[in-house]
Amino acid sequence: MSLVTERPGPGAARPYRFPEVVRRDGVVAAHLPGQALAVAILLLDAGAGREPAGREGIAAVLAKALEEGTAKRDSAAYALALESLGAELFTNVDWDSFRIGVQAPVDRLPAAVALLAEAARTPRLDPADVARVRDDEAAALRMDWADPGPRAEAALRADIFGRDRRHGRPLHGDPDSVAGVGVDDVVEYHRTWLGQPGTLLVAGDLTSVDLGALGAAAFAGAGEPVAGAGGPLPIEPRTDRRVVLVDRPGSVQSTLRLGHAAPHRAHPDYVLMTLAATVLGGAFTSRLNHLIREVRGYTYGIRAEFGQSKRFGRLLVSSGVQTAVTVPALVDTVGEVSRTAVEGVTEPELAVARSWRAGQLSVDLQTPGAIAGALATLVVHNLPDDYHANLRAALLAADEATVSEAAAKHLNPHGLTLVVEGDAAVIRDELVASGLGEVVDAQL
Amino acid sequence: MSPTGYPWPIETARLDNGLRVVVSEDRTAPVVAVNIWYDVGSRHEPDGQTGFAHLFEHLMFEGSEHVAKTEHMRLVQGAGGSLNATTNPDRTNYFETVPAEHLELALWLEADRMGGLVPALTQQTLDNQREVVKNERRQRYDNVPYGDAWLRLLPLLYPPGHPYHHATIGSMADLNAADLPTFAAFHTTYYAPNNAVLSVVGDVVPADVFALAEKYFGGLPSRPDIPPAPDGTRPAPPTGPVREDVVGDVPAPRIYLAHRTHAFGSPGYDAVTVLATILGTGRGSRLYQRLADGARLAQPDYVSAYGVDLAHAPAPLIVTATARDGVAAADLEAGLAEVVDGLAGGVGQEELDRAKALLATAWWRQVSTVAGRADVLSRYATQFGDPARAGERLPAWQAVTLDAVAEVAAELHPSRRVTLSYLTEEKPA
Repeated sequence: MSLVTERPGPGAARPYRFPEVVRRDGVVAAHLPGQALAVAILLLDAGAGREPAGREGIAAVLAKALEEGTAKRDSAAYALALESLGAELFTNVDWDSFRIGVQAPVDRLPAAVALLAEAARTPRLDPADVARVRDDEAAALRMDWADPGPRAEAALRADIFGRDRRHGRPLHGDPDSVAGVGVDDVVEYHRTWLGQPGTLLVAGDLTSVDLGALGAAAFAGAGEPVAGAGGPLPIEPRTDRRVVLVDRPGSVQSTLRLGHAAPHRAHPDYVLMTLAATVLGGAFTSRLNHLIREVRGYTYGIRAEFGQSKRFGRLLVSSGVQTAVTVPALVDTVGEVSRTAVEGVTEPELAVARSWRAGQLSVDLQTPGAIAGALATLVVHNLPDDYHANLRAALLAADEATVSEAAAKHLNPHGLTLVVEGDAAVIRDELVASGLGEVVDAQL
Repeated sequence: MSPTGYPWPIETARLDNGLRVVVSEDRTAPVVAVNIWYDVGSRHEPDGQTGFAHLFEHLMFEGSEHVAKTEHMRLVQGAGGSLNATTNPDRTNYFETVPAEHLELALWLEADRMGGLVPALTQQTLDNQREVVKNERRQRYDNVPYGDAWLRLLPLLYPPGHPYHHATIGSMADLNAADLPTFAAFHTTYYAPNNAVLSVVGDVVPADVFALAEKYFGGLPSRPDIPPAPDGTRPAPPTGPVREDVVGDVPAPRIYLAHRTHAFGSPGYDAVTVLATILGTGRGSRLYQRLADGARLAQPDYVSAYGVDLAHAPAPLIVTATARDGVAAADLEAGLAEVVDGLAGGVGQEELDRAKALLATAWWRQVSTVAGRADVLSRYATQFGDPARAGERLPAWQAVTLDAVAEVAAELHPSRRVTLSYLTEEKPA
């Protein structure tokens, strides 16, 4: 047997180019030659951040209700018309945007966009249908909340942002808030927020696509643009750590969600923070995964990232660990966050983080769906067409000193909230004795 | 519609040691996908060794003769790449997508663990990854409501001794009993060049890839005595209907109806794929229209029907629904059975056309990335002897007739049905 002992070096790199961005009359498009499928997304400034307090989940209910028939046809006829094109409507509500999209073979894109617009602009919103969709959505959330994770996530959000703030509540609401959504709330949300023209994102082989006609279909009958939601919210740094316990009797794992408030997406440190979080817990060989999974064997995986939207952000560390090692895993995790804040990153770790993040731009941005998502980032955060090219350069140029500085500035190990969703009867005493922070029960 | 589902070029070669190499050039983006299928999966595991193929997959990332523990991940991610591996009953696959200039690194890493894993295996690594896999089992199967459905369905569908009888994740007891020599033997037996297919897709020149494959893999010996795979035709499946009722901590009653159908790749399975789409994909599907919308027995987000694409025995078709608030499990089960039984009465041309349109989109989505294409090529080379047969699947779906759908629908007879029902603790049946 003979193996080649010497590890090969890289060949000559071919430059990565983000496709040319075409902006025309509210349409933002990218040409991807040879792709069989194309994607179109109507992007609206109508994300969950627009929902009134106590009514979390309106946007998610509306997203489902859009397919319950239109002014022109009932729900069964609508489904058949769209699906016979090979398309399904997909909707997505995040903090900053409400997205309604279709993916279809490129020759069927015009027909699919016409149906997309029909659902977005002229949904039937029959009160009985909306009430049923609302009830179904509440039931679906109850299913989802029976899994480990959603309750821990809600407890973390409430603790770091405050239950009285919209972003201190779950993105899509909880089973109770959704159950409390009224039919009028949904109709009103549509009237207020889905009448704006928005932006039509198109990604695919545009050789025979008439972007003007797609735009005309998407914007027909639309009203005025809406005013912006406002600037970034202030961050109040914490100095005390606390442990929030979410009881899950009989659980064989403890689900961990750790975090604290952090800057918004457009913060000038965005690239540096991304790299610091990658070294901490963003890649397989990052500090957290190496220690907690590869050395200790406590978990199937652990990751850390900054989650950022237009007005706020946070550090989030997520994992699931075997119940018996809950406290040692937390101690190790807090230890790695502290070490990264205090000692910064090393050049070998940063080298991996840098090339991985830069390389991922070319590896990930292959499909019409991924490119449409990148176009959405440009629009939501008001970024220039050469953003992705510059992002790559900025990632590759970041040095050890500046990334370490960002780690020190934006990681706050002393102000962490540690949410543990697990068998409280088994782990409570050890958590209290650990001295990690005051232990409180989640108020959900 | 394209006459082929694979309109890109395909070139193949076979090294002297039996390694099959498949290259599909596409210069659109400066990236390349590398994908290896080893023709070994959990179906090869003998009694008492369930979960070994999958645990072994973990060990493949823990170092080999010239690669230190965890260095594999660091080198690929440090080159800007994505990587992973999966194990299923049929096979084990390993894959990475990297910027094209790092192709050689990826091939070197794959060759080193194909040819040089055994010297790097240690008790410490085995113990560590055994714990990781046990945590994977807790996270995916044991700690989530209904998480064990697949673990329960397989033994109901396939009798003891059948290669698909047990689930790939394995049992905790078998994992605890795993010893180092067994894994060394597993590698020596199955991780041979003549038991593997290497597919490379993207920004490459085929001749260069063949030369690199020879350089890195050419020195590995073939293994002349790979044991034959276990026979998927025996033992014979149980006759008559089978059912299991589980009372547990679940948020709502849920029913699974399952049938053994045809092996993936056969015309019968193509018809099953179309049938499953008619039944369960989209708001225009029968399950959605009749159970979620019509009779309102089922929660709309939780109705589905799908085939599990296994190639070495009749593959399962799984149909499932979860009860709406206040709906009894028995009513949901009766409603679900009625929809499945109703298929034997025939489906309409409109339903057939809708399913075919959705399947076409699903196919093109799967092959829209170089990684997706590399996986498809490895599959068809491994399971059907020719990667170019990947192009046949989409046309085969498009050619499915109303008669063919009726024929497989008739086979979903209640007398051959497996029923798994989850009942809530508050309201046992």
